[in-house]
Amino acid sequence: MHPLFARPVRLLIVVATAALFGVPLAWLLRLLEPRPWSAALAFAVPLTVFYSFIVLSAWWVCRRHPITGDAPWRAVAVQLGAALQATSIWTALGTFWALALDRWLYAGLTRAAMLRDLVVLFAAGIPIYLLSAVAHYLVLAFEASHAAERRVLESEVGAREAELRALRAQLNPHFLFNSLNSINALVGSDPEGARRMCEGLGDFLRRTLALGAQDEVTLGEELALVERYLGIEQVRFGERLRVERAVAPDAAACRVPPLLLQPLVENAIKHGIQDCVAGGVIRIAATRVDGTLRVTVENPVDADAPVRRGEGVGLENVRRRLEVFGARESQLFAAREADRFRVTLTLPAIAGGAPMEAARA
Amino acid sequence: MPEPLRVLIVDDEAPARSLLREYLGTHAGVEVVGECANGFEAVKAIAEQRPDLVVLDVQMPKLDGFEVLELVAGEPGAPAVIFCTAYDEYALRAFEVHAVDYLLKPFGRERLAEALGRARDRLALAASRAQGQSAESGSPAEPGPGPATSPVAAALAASARGPGRYSERIVVRDGAQVHVVPTEQVDYVEAQDDYVAIHGAGHSHLKHQTLAELAEALDPARFVRIHRSFLVNVERIARVELLGKDQRVVILRDGRQLPVSRSGHERLREQWS
Repeated sequence: MHPLFARPVRLLIVVATAALFGVPLAWLLRLLEPRPWSAALAFAVPLTVFYSFIVLSAWWVCRRHPITGDAPWRAVAVQLGAALQATSIWTALGTFWALALDRWLYAGLTRAAMLRDLVVLFAAGIPIYLLSAVAHYLVLAFEASHAAERRVLESEVGAREAELRALRAQLNPHFLFNSLNSINALVGSDPEGARRMCEGLGDFLRRTLALGAQDEVTLGEELALVERYLGIEQVRFGERLRVERAVAPDAAACRVPPLLLQPLVENAIKHGIQDCVAGGVIRIAATRVDGTLRVTVENPVDADAPVRRGEGVGLENVRRRLEVFGARESQLFAAREADRFRVTLTLPAIAGGAPMEAARA
Repeated sequence: MPEPLRVLIVDDEAPARSLLREYLGTHAGVEVVGECANGFEAVKAIAEQRPDLVVLDVQMPKLDGFEVLELVAGEPGAPAVIFCTAYDEYALRAFEVHAVDYLLKPFGRERLAEALGRARDRLALAASRAQGQSAESGSPAEPGPGPATSPVAAALAASARGPGRYSERIVVRDGAQVHVVPTEQVDYVEAQDDYVAIHGAGHSHLKHQTLAELAEALDPARFVRIHRSFLVNVERIARVELLGKDQRVVILRDGRQLPVSRSGHERLREQWS
């Protein structure tokens, strides 16, 4: 359906304008042969209103044959053909209408006068149709550029949203509240430790903001951020938090989206270390095999742990980060074994410095 | 010199415990009777030490703060509770279970002092009530300053599960020992006066709770009230037998028979239709 039919006000404006076009047409007919205004208008106005509906059909023709397509000349030829068809239909109707109004319109005139009127009608119909086609092409072009702009904006907003979500997850307020509480405790018992923790917290936040602003970072940079995070959590959990690291140097040089790893380590603490009376070992490993980077984060699980709500938000965030990163081979796999929980990320291994686009193509 | 306020600190993080100990140390008339790092220890220490007040973290290993409170609530001499957490989303639930106060980490000395003041008021009120009551009737079962039994326990059960979620485990206390029974291991539950007997996996546990409260906390798709005194795990039912006119029994897979009331049978049929 033509979009105008969905907007009655605009359709009404088009029809009213068409009706107004009846006035110059009636004036033209009166120039050719003298006759009363009433008769000329009675003939011209219904015809122009009717023709406005015919020329709206240019919308379908324009959509079908875009002038910006592969064959612009073909589109022009098609439009000319369509103009001939449209004006033929119009003239045919004009003939019936002229015959219907014969006594009034052609009182005292010959058949030649009617024929001349119809020739004028036919000739006028062609440019009117072509004008309509041009207008439709303009509207379609405007809509297309509008839609393209929107698509670009939408994808940008989507990427920003994912980034913001990652940042917000990173700067988890509860982590900050608990850290501040630890500092509060240290101020009394170990002022030097409190200072170190303030410094560590500041360093962690600054690095998070710096990394978050980038499109991609190396796994090594990401791990350095995680180390700062672990340093802060170490104060809270003491001996309960133990960490094993097995990161191959060639893996550390690979490119990853920023703020990818820390949510996983945070989960490992929240659902692993915090739930175990004696704590346990978090294992962070990364290897590079051929074209694939594999990163795993593992934590202990206490089968008797209280059920916690809101699980899976962190993993969902990481999954979305991988999507925005764009590599189709990227995936996140989470598995629970008897007393361990393991998250495995696989990404295309791209050494630092190599442009992402080449690898994605 | 009045009796000192006996306080138990429960938090799984050592710095948080040492902060509380430091703050509390400056209050005259406060005695810290112990520190616990998880829910099991807390329940044990509350049973053994009988503190007046517990400063309780919410997220801990084994049992969370609410489960600890559920296990010690409703008994004579149950302690008053101040929750202490970095999460503000449990505040409503905390007051539903009649916590004295809710401290958000990080907090200062003044805030803790204010909470202690409230706790003292609450304890004094409970003590005077208990005196009045025992003078009147000589009843030994004076309520503690902590949560009272039934309406609060119901709120506890309801709030512990949260919207749209049912308990996946039942916590039971046996003296100072705590048992955690996953709901999928439960065969059936039987009401016994003020207690419920939870049968499953070859054991039975007594819990101070009414059957209605427990039923509310459990997934109704799994647990059906077949009788005034019986709640059954529908997955354990082998068949239903008709004994006489309108008289039925449920036969469990292990051969045990449980009575079914008429409305209980209706509920079972609804479940199976």
